[in-house]
Amino acid sequence: MNIPRLALLVALTLAVAACSDDKNNPNYGGMGPDGGALPGSDNGDKVGNGNDASGGIPPTRPADGMNPDKADYTTLSSDTVYFDFDKATINGDERTKLVAVSEWFKANPGHALFLAGHADKRGTPEYNRALGERRADAVREYLVGLGISADVLYATSYGSDRPAIDGDTEEAYAKNRRVEIGVVVKQ
Amino acid sequence: MKFSRCTLRSVFTVCVLGSALLPLRAQVDVAAPGLPTVGVSLSGPLGGGATEIVSADLRRTGEMEPVGSSSGQYLATGVAGDSGITAQLVNKRNGQVIFNDTFTGPGRKSAHQFSDEITKAVTGLPGFATSRIAFISKASGSKELYVSDIDGFNVRQITHDNTISASPAFSHSGAKIAYSSYKSGYLDTYLIDVGSGSRTRIAFFPGINSGPAFSPDDSTIALTLSKDGNPEIYTISTSGSIENRITRTRGGETSPSWSPTGDRLVYSSDDHGAPQLYISSSSGVTDMDQLYTGNSYCTKPDWSPDGKSIAFTARVSGQFEIGSFDLASRQGHLVTTDGGEDPSWTRDSRHLVYSKNGRLYILDVVTHKSFPIELSVSSCGEPSVSR
Repeated sequence: MNIPRLALLVALTLAVAACSDDKNNPNYGGMGPDGGALPGSDNGDKVGNGNDASGGIPPTRPADGMNPDKADYTTLSSDTVYFDFDKATINGDERTKLVAVSEWFKANPGHALFLAGHADKRGTPEYNRALGERRADAVREYLVGLGISADVLYATSYGSDRPAIDGDTEEAYAKNRRVEIGVVVKQ
Repeated sequence: MKFSRCTLRSVFTVCVLGSALLPLRAQVDVAAPGLPTVGVSLSGPLGGGATEIVSADLRRTGEMEPVGSSSGQYLATGVAGDSGITAQLVNKRNGQVIFNDTFTGPGRKSAHQFSDEITKAVTGLPGFATSRIAFISKASGSKELYVSDIDGFNVRQITHDNTISASPAFSHSGAKIAYSSYKSGYLDTYLIDVGSGSRTRIAFFPGINSGPAFSPDDSTIALTLSKDGNPEIYTISTSGSIENRITRTRGGETSPSWSPTGDRLVYSSDDHGAPQLYISSSSGVTDMDQLYTGNSYCTKPDWSPDGKSIAFTARVSGQFEIGSFDLASRQGHLVTTDGGEDPSWTRDSRHLVYSKNGRLYILDVVTHKSFPIELSVSSCGEPSVSR
């Protein structure tokens, strides 16, 4: 009597886990490059042999007119999201900022957002580029979860190359581990 | 036989220094010999300068001791002029002329060519005096790509983009450099022909396209792409078409480096917390073989040309140090004690060029001696040595 019930419970739990996993990791696959100018094509992701599926929502790049260098990073500067050392997870306090961002975004139609990830200098340059990208991806996923279309959220990373504050203090490091939110007019 | 000299000195050094480091190379129980001495004396209009260049090159190998012309077990003599160097190497023990050759490389290169020929003849190891370094410098105010000779001369600025250039890698032929840049506004990967300066954007998928590394035959480039939603290692052709996906994790993978046989890649992954080093097949997603280096934070691996070691950057007590992982014993050890990052092997698999506080250094991993490379530009980093 108990055993089938337990089995059912386990099966249900697994099913729910699988569903939520799928929701967070849609299998987009085969994103092509922008501009369409690359020779050859993405021949598709080969199926792994037991490795974890890669997380995240595949990024997009906007039309040429919406370059990250032209984004306005001041309008939502008070909503810059800060991170712990070597982490790309968004802390509870920081999430309220993203709720504010999503409300601003819904109240101001016709815009798109650049999400610029940064790292403090206490990592090697190339590792920091990936870390900044993971932070920007995390913010993008969170905003998607708040109802903003992934198609108008553009993640990018500057690693440790564009610090908010120069210096070797813990305070400077904390201010540099961030994702800045840049506004562009959607074209 | 060829490697025994190096091996012996490794053991010798460790014993003499009483170091806690284990000798990681094969051991041969013979007394360590002294360095071979080479008398260097070039005459002709450019003889004085050429003698200095060759002497410095030979000393840098750590395998030979350059001495005055009248002494030495070997004698390197010749004539240096505008059209190059005609020179010979004699074994003074038996009077045998080992080679007699003309080196026609432009400027200082002819002397470096002579040095590499001497190195090969005396030690059996490939010399690296003719190698160059690609690196990033912020001297102009923005991060630009530069190249120089490995002795620091002939610094040349390659990019003038007023943006961030990053992670250069020399092709094995020395003819091309792959690097990443925000020139488009996004982090894309480009290929530059060093001779002509012509540039092609080869990887510009959505997300980051960074950290390129040439396969041993220069036909394929491994790099980090985040087009799937987080940074993964891929291989692409030099024209930019995807060849293989290498990793599939929820973490970030960066800084791939090829095995000399081209069948494997070593890279950094933070899928299980702080970044660690892993090896995978270069032909598709396979199991990740973790290298337990003994350090909790390891990035930027570089596979040695002889295939035996992987150099990397470790974070130790809040500071970066260079480490080396021996693949035979599967043990890692630190090779610097006062800082360093982004190591790149030279051809002889014995020296590493690395950066520290905006300067480039060259380290002998056998003697643990390190010297700054005197460059005419400051704020340097991310060196890559041509093979």
